[in-house]
Amino acid sequence: MASVRLRGIQKRYGDNLVIKGIDLDVEDGQFVVFVGPSGCGKSTLLRMIAGLEDISAGTLHLGDKPCNDVAPAERGIAMVFQSYALYPHMTVAENMGFALKLAKVPKAEIAERVGRAAAILQIEHLLERKPKALSGGQRQRVAIGRAIVRKPEVFLFDEPLSNLDAALRAQTRVELAGLHRELGSTMIYVTHDQVEAMTLGQKIVVFNGGRIEQVGTPLELYERPANLFVAGFLGSPRMNFIPATLAGEEGATAAVRLPDGSVAEVAADAGHARVGAALTLGVRPEHLQLQADAGGSGIAATVVLVEYLGDVTLVHAKVEGVEGILAAKCNAGGTAPAVGSRVRLGVEPGRAYLFDETGKAFASSRALAAAIPQ
Amino acid sequence: MKYRSNLGWTAIAVVSAILLAALWAAPLLWAVSTALRPELETVSADFHWLPQTWTLDAFAKTLAAGNLLRWLLNSALVSLAVTVVTMAVSLMAAYAFSQLRFRGRGLIFALAMLAFLVPFEALLVPLFRTMNQLGMINRYAGIVLPQVVSPVVIYVFKGFFDEIPADFREAAVMDGAGPLRVLWSVYLPLSGNIVWAMAIVTFIAAWNNFLWPFIIVTSNDMMTVPLGLTQTYDAFGVRYAQLMAAALLGAAPVAAAYIVFQKKVTQGFLAASGLKG
Repeated sequence: MASVRLRGIQKRYGDNLVIKGIDLDVEDGQFVVFVGPSGCGKSTLLRMIAGLEDISAGTLHLGDKPCNDVAPAERGIAMVFQSYALYPHMTVAENMGFALKLAKVPKAEIAERVGRAAAILQIEHLLERKPKALSGGQRQRVAIGRAIVRKPEVFLFDEPLSNLDAALRAQTRVELAGLHRELGSTMIYVTHDQVEAMTLGQKIVVFNGGRIEQVGTPLELYERPANLFVAGFLGSPRMNFIPATLAGEEGATAAVRLPDGSVAEVAADAGHARVGAALTLGVRPEHLQLQADAGGSGIAATVVLVEYLGDVTLVHAKVEGVEGILAAKCNAGGTAPAVGSRVRLGVEPGRAYLFDETGKAFASSRALAAAIPQ
Repeated sequence: MKYRSNLGWTAIAVVSAILLAALWAAPLLWAVSTALRPELETVSADFHWLPQTWTLDAFAKTLAAGNLLRWLLNSALVSLAVTVVTMAVSLMAAYAFSQLRFRGRGLIFALAMLAFLVPFEALLVPLFRTMNQLGMINRYAGIVLPQVVSPVVIYVFKGFFDEIPADFREAAVMDGAGPLRVLWSVYLPLSGNIVWAMAIVTFIAAWNNFLWPFIIVTSNDMMTVPLGLTQTYDAFGVRYAQLMAAALLGAAPVAAAYIVFQKKVTQGFLAASGLKG
């Protein structure tokens, strides 16, 4: 096992800088997830760690060893590709043992290591089959098996679950987490799926436009997003954003005026902002309190869509002066308002976020809800 | 009515196909018919499609008197060598052009493809001078080497390699394979049929090549079959029955090779065209 240390990593294609200076530490044995929208550079960075892309600037250390110019096969890394990249003309056993064969490992040892990896992944009965005779889930296991037999110090996963259906993806997610516990290896996992990121990662790195937006545990990122991008990226449906102006602040509480003229309080330290500054109020759908419009407090809105998801009901509502539609999560047991009805959306001070004009979050005075077991 | 119209077109197509096949087969059948006649009958004023007297004399005399077995051996050696070296050179060049990133890649590929525009005849004199300086007149290497660079084969292989997902190469690189190993263990097996197709076409072209061996070979012992066929005459002129017998004997190995590998050739060309076989 090994740690991974990135310092000032850049990737340039001609004049186009796609990775803009990444500093990151992945600890020995940690499961780290790179997440971000398409084109944010997460896969490129993974390929640079693998050695499949040159590093334009900066240094990469695997353990204590600088690895910028080390050949991919000599980095002690194994990678699981999005397409699995199983060689179609080889059997499962040959696929899994190919790297060992190239390394001139004795045949008996190859068979033993392939057998052990197959046992871990419960694919012993597939060893003599060709990839075309396997299902998507089986191919995915073989691809992981091919990585395991090499006994790498670092595993790299490039969106390995994206070709699986929803049910199999959920099952494989659990198995991957179990595999990490069993092997204890350092794993770096790229995905654009925030559910995978939140459930698998001990540490999540959120990328955007070739830069790291925030690094933290899943709960830290969810509860204390550093900026509008992270706040909007993690969570489904995404966080609601409402334009606001700072009406006043006192200690760790800020009062903001909303587009409908109402005032909401937020547990955030807005001390460095001037009164009247344009801000953004952020509220997650599960923290918007839906009430019938009886002229009380809250933001006046009109219901435009109701979605029954079984465990929860999503109510989408339009607020005057706010671009887009706000979403509120309601308990499925309650009565959902009818489409077209007027409602009020209450904001709980301790459950709202405040972002300045640049999108940076004001420090929140609330504590994290719970710690994630590592 | 539409059905009747389709039937009419089908009938025209079938008849046309039969006529074209007959047109293609006629010279071949005439060659067989001539080779099975006595020599005198071949120059007879009376025209007959079939021999009046059936005999294998021409084949027997060709095999006994001429140097045909030697020419067959030369053709086999030269064609095999041309095929093996052409495949090796073309596969490596195509892999480099398709998968490796190096400065000047596009320019070098364009230059290689420009060779399409230069007819082989234009290169005869410089090639002959070069081979002469290297002492390769009447040598197998002299016959083989100028035939091993084939832009069209490189182009076909490159097109095929371009379609293979790069993940396979990258997975092999992660597994510890160098470029030659990736080519040998991954790209070659994935391109099996097109390699067979190109190999057979190259083999046939090399077997039938007349011009270059005609320039570089002067010794009867180093001649290939097409060149040797020009030797089947004597003081009385061309011996047509023996000439046809020699031509048939010379073409037989190529025809046999094509028949054996016909399926792979067809599959290869279908694969290259993107159609499913």
